[in-house]
Amino acid sequence: MEEVPLLRQLETKYSHRAAIVGISIDVSLERVDRVVKEKKMTWAILADGRGFDGAIPSAYHVQGTPEIYVLDAEGRIAKRLDSAKDIDATLAALLAPPR
Amino acid sequence: MRAVCILATAIALSALPARAQPAQPPQDSPDAVRQMVADARRDIEKYQASGATAGTEDPVLKWDRSLWEVHLRTPGTEAGALAAVEAIRLLTQANVRDRSEARIDSLGTDDAAWERLPSVIYTDGIARNDLSAVISRLSRVAGSTTSPTIKAAALVTIGRAYRRTGDRGAATRALEDAKAAAPNTRYADEASGLIYEIAHLSPGLPAPPISAKARDGRKISLSTFHGTPVVLVFWGTT
Repeated sequence: MEEVPLLRQLETKYSHRAAIVGISIDVSLERVDRVVKEKKMTWAILADGRGFDGAIPSAYHVQGTPEIYVLDAEGRIAKRLDSAKDIDATLAALLAPPR
Repeated sequence: MRAVCILATAIALSALPARAQPAQPPQDSPDAVRQMVADARRDIEKYQASGATAGTEDPVLKWDRSLWEVHLRTPGTEAGALAAVEAIRLLTQANVRDRSEARIDSLGTDDAAWERLPSVIYTDGIARNDLSAVISRLSRVAGSTTSPTIKAAALVTIGRAYRRTGDRGAATRALEDAKAAAPNTRYADEASGLIYEIAHLSPGLPAPPISAKARDGRKISLSTFHGTPVVLVFWGTT
């Protein structure tokens, strides 16, 4: 949850150049909706209420939070991160023009 | 009258130590070892905060000795294995290289400490940026131990180390060997999970597809984002 302010900044900074998708591992969808509203999370939020057993967390073998995957423009896995702090540098590197 | 006296004495005696100090875990139990580790960390922090005064002994060395005494005193017990692992962890974290190497070398490859030691050695290898040393040391352990769980624990960590170096083939082979060494154990489960991650979630591979409706009703699919990087953040409200 402490990553929320940082994600809000990143969404502004990369508005049209990168997308953020939050995938909740909660079991209460009401709780997810309440927190999303309270914390003003404007990026897409996916939640199926099945926790870590949900289809997407299972496919990404998620075992704890936060866990972050950064995908490149072609939809390939670029990097797996344990902290939102490293997102900015990872995106900057992906968006840098090829040398 | 005599019975009353004995009773009164017993009460007085039992009351004394209880008042003198809080309950201690039994000597040489796993809990006692955990208590020692907590005390050690506190001492080490204090020592570092005070600027590691010259002339006073580094608490790392003192606590390593105490923990190793427990290890030698209680061979084959959980507390003994834990004490060895924690002593080596303290030494590697403090970078007391010669002593940590000597401690590791002195452990027989069937010592139960080896079930937990691979992860300590791996963490140290990452910190020192020397995973090949980790791989060769753990390969020797896996090759010489007679314990299936120690063999599996070593192989799982070898798999992790190879994955980190980018050698997916060697990583998968070590993890398959771990599964075969100790089927139906937590090491086999861990190996299966890592094999899946290597096959499906390694850098450069197409991300597993996502197609779902967001909470605000938007239809989300990874193909929609083609041409822009995407950050997938797995999170929880608690």
